[in-house]
Amino acid sequence: MIYELLTGLTSAEVERVLELGARMIVPSGAQLFRLGGAADRLFLTTRGRIRLTLPMQIRGQEEDILAEEISAGQTVGWSAMIPPYLFTLTATAAVEAEVIAVPRQALHEYFAANPATGCKITQNLAAVIGHRLHLFQTMWLREMQRAVEVRSA
Amino acid sequence: MGLCVSAFGLAVVALAFRATTRSESSEATVRPDLPLAKAAVPARLFPAQAAMPPALKPQQVPIELLLLQIENHVRLEQAAAESFIEFPTQALLRGKTTSPFVN
Repeated sequence: MIYELLTGLTSAEVERVLELGARMIVPSGAQLFRLGGAADRLFLTTRGRIRLTLPMQIRGQEEDILAEEISAGQTVGWSAMIPPYLFTLTATAAVEAEVIAVPRQALHEYFAANPATGCKITQNLAAVIGHRLHLFQTMWLREMQRAVEVRSA
Repeated sequence: MGLCVSAFGLAVVALAFRATTRSESSEATVRPDLPLAKAAVPARLFPAQAAMPPALKPQQVPIELLLLQIENHVRLEQAAAESFIEFPTQALLRGKTTSPFVN
């Protein structure tokens, strides 16, 4: 399994980082975390699919609307590494999933002891966050473009 | 005798025809007083949409179907955004998907 967060690390480094975490099985439909909850762990997806959703009011009732779907190898819950350490989405298993939950505290301690590895992981994390930013920025611009076209039609 | 019967038949047909045309003309005179459903409907670019039965109007779509449409829209938009990120061009940024929300 190749984890995007651990790209560029040696197999020994990967093993060491994975040992910081705990394997978790998330049954289909179960929530991994909820919007607004305290984010103290990030998750490396080993198998299955995780739906990241945002609440939307539809006909007077709140519905969880898909924002992104995460599959094996991808990272979920990077809010655990960024202040104010609160989840900004809700994560639910689309099918039974297996994740490795890595506590922030353990990662910070590991980074302090192994700065070179910490630097690589932080760069990978920046890439994950940057990709999400680009994705949502583009989606937002496309929606804005359509809104402008409708208004000026 | 035959001539009389023919004349009588012709008279009956003539009366029937007159009665028919009178009822049509009286309907025609009544019609302007009736509410004109078609005239009341504002002119639309797509008349077929105006004639759509209420059950099929977008606001009446079952919520499960609406949620599926939203999810499909998000997936299509995400794929379009991924394409733009890979090859950033104006055309890819503005490219339309097949989502019913944008068509």
